[in-house]
Amino acid sequence: MGLLKLLRSLKKNEKEARILVLGLDNAGKTTILKALSEEDISTIMPTQGFNIKALTQDGFKLNVWDIGGQKAIRPYWKNYYENTDGLVYVVDSSDEVRLKECVEELQSLLAEENLKNVPMLVFANKQDLQFALDAEEIMSHLQLMEIKDRTWTIQACSAVTKEGLQEGMEWLVKTISEKK
Amino acid sequence: MWGAQRVTFIKQSKQIQIIQLSKKRAKMKLKRFLLRYHPPGIILEYQRKNGEVETKSIDLLNLTPETDIDRLIDQILLEEPLISESRKPALKKLIEKLIEKQMENQDQKFECFKVLRAHLLPLTNCAFNKSGDKFITGSYDRTCKVWDTITGQELLSLEEHKNVVYTMAFNNPFGDKIVTGSFDRTAKIWDANTGQRYHTLKGHKMEIVCLGFDPHGMLVATGSMDHTAKLWDVETGQEIFNLSGHRAEIVSLCFNTDGDKLLTASFDNTAKIWDVCTGQCIFTLEGHTGELSCGQFDFTGDYCLTGSIDRTCKLWDVSSGQCIETFRGHNDEVLDACFNSTGNKLATASADGIARIYNVFTGACISLLQGHENEISKISFNPQGNKIITASSDKTCRLWSVDTGNEVQVLGGHEDEIFSCAFNYEGDTIITGSKDNTCRIWKDQYALKGIKKPQPAAGASAEGATD
Repeated sequence: MGLLKLLRSLKKNEKEARILVLGLDNAGKTTILKALSEEDISTIMPTQGFNIKALTQDGFKLNVWDIGGQKAIRPYWKNYYENTDGLVYVVDSSDEVRLKECVEELQSLLAEENLKNVPMLVFANKQDLQFALDAEEIMSHLQLMEIKDRTWTIQACSAVTKEGLQEGMEWLVKTISEKK
Repeated sequence: MWGAQRVTFIKQSKQIQIIQLSKKRAKMKLKRFLLRYHPPGIILEYQRKNGEVETKSIDLLNLTPETDIDRLIDQILLEEPLISESRKPALKKLIEKLIEKQMENQDQKFECFKVLRAHLLPLTNCAFNKSGDKFITGSYDRTCKVWDTITGQELLSLEEHKNVVYTMAFNNPFGDKIVTGSFDRTAKIWDANTGQRYHTLKGHKMEIVCLGFDPHGMLVATGSMDHTAKLWDVETGQEIFNLSGHRAEIVSLCFNTDGDKLLTASFDNTAKIWDVCTGQCIFTLEGHTGELSCGQFDFTGDYCLTGSIDRTCKLWDVSSGQCIETFRGHNDEVLDACFNSTGNKLATASADGIARIYNVFTGACISLLQGHENEISKISFNPQGNKIITASSDKTCRLWSVDTGNEVQVLGGHEDEIFSCAFNYEGDTIITGSKDNTCRIWKDQYALKGIKKPQPAAGASAEGATD
């Protein structure tokens, strides 16, 4: 990819969309991205920085930025907000213990000036696990109904079985292209 | 010792007439010779009658082991009244030393000396100071760190930027200041020794992605995603000129050796040459059919090159703004290109995973550098001009012989793609910056053992010169 590609993906472009994928560590962000681009998901390490994938969806080129979610590097999420067309917030639906932390991070994201009005897709991931909360429960924990300033949706999914991934991305692309 | 400014810069070709005139009334006294290894040249430090000390340089860009030294010396004496017959033996020694210096680093083998894990997030760019004892790295973690090359110790962490530190430079050859450019839209000038911040350069409306000091260390140029470049006064931190005209992001810039011109390369498919004194655009270099990735002047400042995602690299005549050569052959985007230090060769790096070396004057492709398993995003010659380093998303850097085009070494070990790499001026140390959040220092066998290669008498003194 190289540094030049980083700059090209920063650039505003009518035919391309810049998607930011955020969420706590171990939510499954990188796995979702790899699953979407048909890559092997058997050995995925915690992301120490970021991964970028170019995906094509409905004739739309998506530059998808998957940002590491560990606590120490969350303060740097701001680095990537500029020119974001769509936000994907990934939740580990099986990790009830950390839902509070998950809500707090989401709240502060939604308050960001640079992400104002940016459409948001919430992936309620890991639905393949036995004790995963369903999308409706996640929705109420995250208080999504309170969001008034942007278009959003929540999609139950599993990066491992790939269930729900396409549906979510289709919604996001449709929403972004209507906005552009 | 290279602190002397280029007060007078006389190109050999233009010298003859000037010097014939001044030979009889030469009231200037040669104080000493200084050597400039790369590109090879001899700097004359002389004293005017009024006591002022100035320097001028004799560029010996075509020096090779085959050069007829005695003939060259006769020519220099003919053209340069400051040097008397009695200095012939000294001059000969200096030229022999220069030739020796160009031949250095033939048998070198690099090893990883240190892995520096001080950045929390991926690195961006990196740069050496001229003496090579320090280097700087920038990162997505919003810091720029200053490192000791000898020990690998972190000397300073420059922490004021509010977003990615993307680009950075020393004020070489002096090396006492650093400028950093950030996605936070500002640039900052720092004391390279104490880390004290002198100025914050505010004015750009978007990310700063390229910058540099002019060769005198008086100005900083910044290029931005906001389509403009700016010139700033280093002393006061004030904006001197806003260089507007590009219709898209500026991603690369370069001062010429004299420091009177600035080249900017843009995503608008053009490059522009600016007059540093007036801020006016002298030429727009039009011809590429895709976004530019890089731009650079050669040492003489007579030519400049541009690389483009249109898969070509172009050579331009700086005095006319005309394209004089288009270097073709790559099957994908040209992501970086550079001259060697004398300017007779250039190298291109491409997304096709191949690098190429061209003869600047004939336009011929001399070598194809094949071996990388993925795209190559950075390329540069060592100052001696006999090696090339390439950085790739295949997680390796590779070293190539310029003479044979052979891959001479693979620098492996990084766990993610390599964004940046640089040689020091000696050509015996390399730094590589990676998306894996680390920086590696590589040293050749001499640098590793701390063996100082025999140094030529730097200020080979011309005391006693009676001109």
